[in-house]
Amino acid sequence: MKEFRYTITDKIGIHARPAGELAKLSKEFQSEVKIRAGKKEAEARRLMAVMALGIRNGQEIVVTAEGPDEAEASERLEEFFRKNL
Amino acid sequence: MKNSGFGILQRVGRSFMLPIAILPVAGLLLGIGGSFSNTTMLETYGLMRFMGPGTIPNVIFTVMSKAGDIVFANLPILFAMGVAIGMAKKEKEVAALAAAIAFFIMHAAISAMISINGGIETLPEGAGADVVGIVSLQMGVFGGMLVGLGVSYLHNRFYRIELPQVLSFFGGTRFVPIICALTYVIVGILMYFIWPPVQTAISHVGSVVLRSGYFGTWFYGLMERALIPFGLHHVFYIPFWQTAVGGTAEIGGRIVEGAQNIFFAELAEPNVTRFAVSATRFMSGKFPLMIFGLPGAALAMYQTALPEKKRTVSGLLLSAALTSMLTGITEPLEFTFLFAAPLLYAVHCVLAGAAYMLMHIFQVGVGMTFSGGLIDLFLFGVLQGNQKTGWLWIPVVGVVYFLLYYGLFSFLIRQFDFMTPGRDRNQEVKLYTRRDLEEKRAGEEQAGVSQKDEQSRLILQGLGGRENLSDLDCCATRLRCTVVDPAKVDEGALKAAGASGVIQKGPGVQIIYGPRVTVIKSALDAYMEHESGSLESGAATGKTSLAENGADNESHTKKKRKTIVIGSPMTGTAAALSEAPDEGFAQGLMGQGAVITPEDAIVRAPADGSISFVFPAKHAIGFTTKEGLSMLIHVGIDTVKLGGNGFKVMVQEGDRVKKGDSLLRVNLDFVAKHAPSLVSPVLFTELSEGQRVRLLKEGPIQAGEAFLAVETEES
Repeated sequence: MKEFRYTITDKIGIHARPAGELAKLSKEFQSEVKIRAGKKEAEARRLMAVMALGIRNGQEIVVTAEGPDEAEASERLEEFFRKNL
Repeated sequence: MKNSGFGILQRVGRSFMLPIAILPVAGLLLGIGGSFSNTTMLETYGLMRFMGPGTIPNVIFTVMSKAGDIVFANLPILFAMGVAIGMAKKEKEVAALAAAIAFFIMHAAISAMISINGGIETLPEGAGADVVGIVSLQMGVFGGMLVGLGVSYLHNRFYRIELPQVLSFFGGTRFVPIICALTYVIVGILMYFIWPPVQTAISHVGSVVLRSGYFGTWFYGLMERALIPFGLHHVFYIPFWQTAVGGTAEIGGRIVEGAQNIFFAELAEPNVTRFAVSATRFMSGKFPLMIFGLPGAALAMYQTALPEKKRTVSGLLLSAALTSMLTGITEPLEFTFLFAAPLLYAVHCVLAGAAYMLMHIFQVGVGMTFSGGLIDLFLFGVLQGNQKTGWLWIPVVGVVYFLLYYGLFSFLIRQFDFMTPGRDRNQEVKLYTRRDLEEKRAGEEQAGVSQKDEQSRLILQGLGGRENLSDLDCCATRLRCTVVDPAKVDEGALKAAGASGVIQKGPGVQIIYGPRVTVIKSALDAYMEHESGSLESGAATGKTSLAENGADNESHTKKKRKTIVIGSPMTGTAAALSEAPDEGFAQGLMGQGAVITPEDAIVRAPADGSISFVFPAKHAIGFTTKEGLSMLIHVGIDTVKLGGNGFKVMVQEGDRVKKGDSLLRVNLDFVAKHAPSLVSPVLFTELSEGQRVRLLKEGPIQAGEAFLAVETEES
């Protein structure tokens, strides 16, 4: 399992569009990608679940990837967060 | 070599079909209205009392004549727009607008040049004309073509142009009318210098004709036909009909000038025993040509049309042939082959000349009001008697002409594979059709598949099967679809199913059919409904088709479907998701669904279910229906930036709600003012494979009204 922590710097947080992009990206990997924010956790592929986390600016999240391509998934996702959020 | 001159000419010919479709009607109106309101004719037959000016029939015929005439008078601009529409590759409506603008501007420029250089009086007689109210040069349909071709060229080149940021508003399609306007200012100025010499050359031809007997008559006929595409035939023949160029005669003690004037003077003079052929040689040739020859050509075109297109072309050809026979208005027919097959037109010109010459040789003396149809033949030939006119020669020569045209056209069309109406299909499409026909034959035993259903089936197949279609919608001319997998769309197959064009942008597919698209869409809707209905009743027929069609079974695969209908969460205007003014939503990145532009402040539960979340910025609500479908109701675009201002939430995460319960109150004025758009996407975010969303209603919609349907396949 690969894991990284990231603190959201985007003013608005994870709203519909980034959640949609995240879901789309996560679907590219075989690995199961999860996002944990506080006590809540969501599958990254599920836009609704991610939105339901209501992640805001300044909040720290933990992203985990588990599966055959977890290394690549983790790397690409981290890149995605840095670039967009 | 696809864009060779010949290919372009064919496209031009095809684009002419649009304005040509109106000509038969206009021709009949003008022909009948014109003949029966012509005072010379009425006086001759003593009908002035019943049908002369001031009588009710006269009013009717005058209006008819004017209504038909206006179309002919404005053919140039109609052709300018028609050619531009036909030749433009995309965004055709922009090309049409640009063509109208360019046409006005070109003639305005010519007009300005004329008045700067001394006014219309300085031009030779017949050289000037009133073009859409502008005093300009007579350029006829040629002027329209010049505009249409140029504009479509500029359009195809520039409609996607990107301008620097500052000017970006004028980029893309908006740039097309601008560049066309500027270009045609210059074209107009050039035409002022180029066109008059062309006209002069034509009028010189006239004087040659008179001095050279039968050959002159042949040449006159040939020139008159050859000039029709340029609208210059009037410049050419009017001098013969109306001035001394066409001869001078003394009738009943009066000196009369011009062929037509001579004929009508003789018609009014009871003592004339034989009409002067020296005058009618410029007219009589039209009768065998228009009543017999051209209809023969029409029959040839009908018979050489592709079998599946015969029915479509028969309407066009039959009405055009009737117009030619009855009224002697030939443009509707001539333009059907002029551009598709210039060689045919050349043959037509030669034969036309010969018709005039034969009438001259056989001393036929039948005149006409303005053209050579049955109406004029009856009035000025048959009613006058064979003694005075020798009109019996007309049907004799006519029958020969009919056979000649029929034979020659049939032969030449087949020999050179001319793309006359109904033959217009490229090889690739043909192949598709053949395969489809075979499939059809294989499936024919399965109950009566109507033609419409067949087309719907082909369309679905071209879109990658029903499962691939997530949204279906139409505008005036296109079927607008959203597909799940763009790669499955098969343009060739769609064209084989009758589309005139396919535009694809990611998951958005537009299939162009023209105005009949509404019919096609409703047939497609009905087909899909009917299909799903029959599926539930059993898959017996499906098995047969599976067995027979082998691999190509995607659209045939018969599975059970379950449909869940979701109500509208808001009162407002519903539209396809692709209308969302946000790329991400419009492309389906966040899910499939549709948009609503709300007009009422309350957002309501679209079905029974529960609230899965309320986003911190309050602009979006996650909803799960009792069947377990997750939905996102996202009010406005970029409203996340409002940070909750303008929204008042009435529910919280985990609440169970009934359809119609209030979820959220939106301050519409505030949001409209502070966010880019009020357009609100309503999406299904987590559809599984085999689930499809269909928009059930577009336009005004009430909260709770059936809005979206999710179809789930159960194998």
